[in-house]
Amino acid sequence: MPDWKPDIRKRLATLQLEPTRESEIVEELASHLEDRYQELRATGVSDAEAYLVAQDELSTQLLVRELNRIERRFGSEPIALGARRRNMLGNLWQDTRFGLRLIRKSPGFSAVVIITLAVGIGANTAIFSVVNSVMLRSLPFKDPDRLVRLNESNPGRGWPTFAVSHPNFLDWRERNQSFAALAATAPASGNVGTAGEVEVVRGSAVTVDFLTVLGTSPLLGRNFLPEEDKPGGNNQVVILTYGSWQKRFAGDPQVIGKTLTLNDSPYTVIGVLPQSFAWASSSNFEILLPLAPDPQRPRADHRLLVIGKLKDGVKIEQAFADMNGIASQLAEQFPDSNSGWSVSGQNFYDWLIPEEIRRSLLIFLGAVGFVLLIACSNVANLMLAKANARQREISIRIALGASRLRIASQLLVESLSLALISGIAGLAVAHFAMKALKAMNPGDVPRLDELSMDGRVLGFSLLISLLTGVLFGLAPSIHAARTNINEMLKEGGRSIGGGKLRQRVRSSLVTIEVALSVALLVSAGLLLRSFWRLQDVNPGFKTDRLLTMRVNLPRNRYPENARAWDFYKRFLEEGTASPGVEAVAVSSGVPLGGGNTATQIQVEGRAPEAEGNKPSADWRIISPGYFRAMGIPLRGRDFDERDTQDAPPVTIISEEMARRYWPGEDPIGKPVTLFSFGGKTSTVIGVVGDVRSIGLDSDPRPMVYVSTKIAALWNPMNLVIRTSGEPTSHASAIRSTLSQIDPNIPVYEVRSMDDLLSSTLGSRRFTMFLLGVFAGVALLLACVGLFGVMAYLVSQRTHEIGVRLALGARPKDVFRLIIGHGMSLAAVGSVIGLAGAWSIGRFLETLLYQVKPTDAITLASAPVVLLSVAAVACYVPARRAMRVDPMLALRYE
Amino acid sequence: MSYINNMLDRELKKGSAELLILSLVETRPRHGYEISKLIDARSDGVLKFNVASLYPLLYRLEKRGWIQGRWVEKAGQRRRRYYKLTREGRKVLAAQRSGWEEFVAAINRITGAERA
Repeated sequence: MPDWKPDIRKRLATLQLEPTRESEIVEELASHLEDRYQELRATGVSDAEAYLVAQDELSTQLLVRELNRIERRFGSEPIALGARRRNMLGNLWQDTRFGLRLIRKSPGFSAVVIITLAVGIGANTAIFSVVNSVMLRSLPFKDPDRLVRLNESNPGRGWPTFAVSHPNFLDWRERNQSFAALAATAPASGNVGTAGEVEVVRGSAVTVDFLTVLGTSPLLGRNFLPEEDKPGGNNQVVILTYGSWQKRFAGDPQVIGKTLTLNDSPYTVIGVLPQSFAWASSSNFEILLPLAPDPQRPRADHRLLVIGKLKDGVKIEQAFADMNGIASQLAEQFPDSNSGWSVSGQNFYDWLIPEEIRRSLLIFLGAVGFVLLIACSNVANLMLAKANARQREISIRIALGASRLRIASQLLVESLSLALISGIAGLAVAHFAMKALKAMNPGDVPRLDELSMDGRVLGFSLLISLLTGVLFGLAPSIHAARTNINEMLKEGGRSIGGGKLRQRVRSSLVTIEVALSVALLVSAGLLLRSFWRLQDVNPGFKTDRLLTMRVNLPRNRYPENARAWDFYKRFLEEGTASPGVEAVAVSSGVPLGGGNTATQIQVEGRAPEAEGNKPSADWRIISPGYFRAMGIPLRGRDFDERDTQDAPPVTIISEEMARRYWPGEDPIGKPVTLFSFGGKTSTVIGVVGDVRSIGLDSDPRPMVYVSTKIAALWNPMNLVIRTSGEPTSHASAIRSTLSQIDPNIPVYEVRSMDDLLSSTLGSRRFTMFLLGVFAGVALLLACVGLFGVMAYLVSQRTHEIGVRLALGARPKDVFRLIIGHGMSLAAVGSVIGLAGAWSIGRFLETLLYQVKPTDAITLASAPVVLLSVAAVACYVPARRAMRVDPMLALRYE
Repeated sequence: MSYINNMLDRELKKGSAELLILSLVETRPRHGYEISKLIDARSDGVLKFNVASLYPLLYRLEKRGWIQGRWVEKAGQRRRRYYKLTREGRKVLAAQRSGWEEFVAAINRITGAERA
């Protein structure tokens, strides 16, 4: 029986049909010819003749012509995937389908790639979403570009940004040419409610133009009137926030004209703010009150925060030139209070989103970018190894007519498909990462709670996914395009010549990974060292077992000093008596509690300083026993019953103050004039240890203390309670003690000093934690990458290792060879990484505390950490190499 | 004249060949060799299909969705590809058949009238 198929196949060859289709046609035609042959033989024709007749009846010319019409017209995929076709979209679709098929075909490989990239893309998306919501979204005010914050400035005294005094604000408002509106505001917290159900609310006292500057108008009712904004006018009016309106009046549309009891006085509700009002984010911010700036108040009493809206077309520099012109006029008019003072400020963006925060965010973005780069290198390595395995397939396709460009672009499409899938997985990662970031919010990153995914974030993650795909897909693509098919086909798939270049690419990728990780490790290490340094800083007082809380004594029921002091005196007596309480005290401000108060001083016997450089000191009002309660060492005597308003004024100063103004002398008994306290001359009766009151990272400044007994009207006042056990557990006992003294005085901001301390370190901890996580992930990825490359190298060199062993090399030598190779890659990477860390160190400088970016210990330990992990990563492949069986390895040939 | 003749001839053949094949697979599926044998036998050898044009024609009809081929293996035989009429093919067949009948009737009227 003749075999018809080879003959038919030969006849069809010119058609270049798709292989499966061709074999189908061949089989059918062969079957026909066989039938015909059998039929002829049955009629008695000889075998040879039957064969010739049957073969002759199949006209090649006709067959090819007819099939050509049909099979070509209805088209099919080209024989070799990647053969030239004209349809670009068709190509793309075909490549994508092929790519997805491959991804499904090797689920393990794909999973590793997708997980690696998803972590990288997800982390980047999450950090970008922070950058987006903090830095990129526009501020929630109308015309935010024209909004400016203004303050007084006295650089000579080290006060670059200082609050504004009432009369100065009034003069600014009257004389300036640059602002469409200028408004002043001051914090105004108060007690809302009546007996038994009093609650502390926060708010702002604002001048009449406040809402105009911010571009908001009341949802209900009206704004303040100019006469409500004058001393002696009707100031008993209040504008509620939307939240307060809902909470206290259940959203009553008839609320205008109703009464809110604030600090035991009735206030008439005149307006309700819209929900979008975004001046303050804290949930208990409920009220706006009229500020009524008073021209009679001292110009040296700086209390106000001033904001303004520039006139259309006025530049901020022009505005400040204008304002400083006014400041120098005022300095001439009122040299005592105004000389040395100028006006400074910044636009809202720079004010609300401080440089420091923007800088840390950009550092995060850079660091997380490094992590993604490392992930990309790892994936590129995996793809290269895979491309190697596919080398033969690619060579055959090129031999069959696929264009190199098509093959390269097809590999790229494959990478892009993987990257996009990873991008989608990355969004899920980002979702959880963003939740975690919100939960970790250190408190001082503005707008972090508004974190969300918007179009810009999605666009960003699409972009980095595509970029990632191109990054890790490029190397294999270029290699594929360069494939030397003759070599490849001759070698039967085992690459030696081309392998060298590939190995070099792989090694450089790993080196880059190591370098990036070392740079990240150094950065994280520097922050960690700063953090340790800060935690070792002595704050100047004992922070453990200390409870703090605040009270406001309403002025209408506590109009004079004696009444207020009475309240505090009873608290000091009864508070100390409660069980578990070791000491109690009162202070106008606790260390690390935020805010500062300072005064100009005059030290007797010292020549008055040049204008603008007058001596100054921070001040706090404290009760007797404060130093004991806080654990601050005191030399001399504490305040006591003798220090009344009628007695000669006395003060206690800090060591820094003593050092600065009485160097080499004993200040006790010396006189000093405090201008914020009536300008009377006080006698120093004691010297206490320095306290870091602003923050652990700022050096103690000169400080004077004044007795509460003569200045009890200060609001709000802080109560400090030293307990014998866990401090917050005593809060309710203290509350009930206070309510026995006066049931209408609520306490708020009840916090332990440890909490305060940890929240001042919050943003540092946040920064350190994030960079630490990035560095850890980077280290892990780099070592996985190193492991992969070494393992691949060993598998590629199995034959060579076999030969070495067969020729007498000891396993130990082989082990050393492989470890040496891996470690030299890691070492080169470390050196490059250190150089990189050196150059990025200066970006970190502002985040560091008493650690130089070139800190030797950190620079030395990062590579040590990396090299030890790298040694572990190389160990397994090296062991495997050592155990190569020479016989097995050689038999593969 | 000969050009027109040729064209008419080709169109006729093509049209009628499609009709022939569709008719032959109307009642039951048949393979290519069987179809060519039936055409030969039923036309008493007047119509003969070259194998080189029969199969391309089958493929064309299959691609149009009028017939459907399927490999069938019967006991003791090698596998063969059987073609059956599809639903759409059945409609086409009905249309072509009536068209053909009209055409033949028209031709008959013309040629018969001349003869009469």
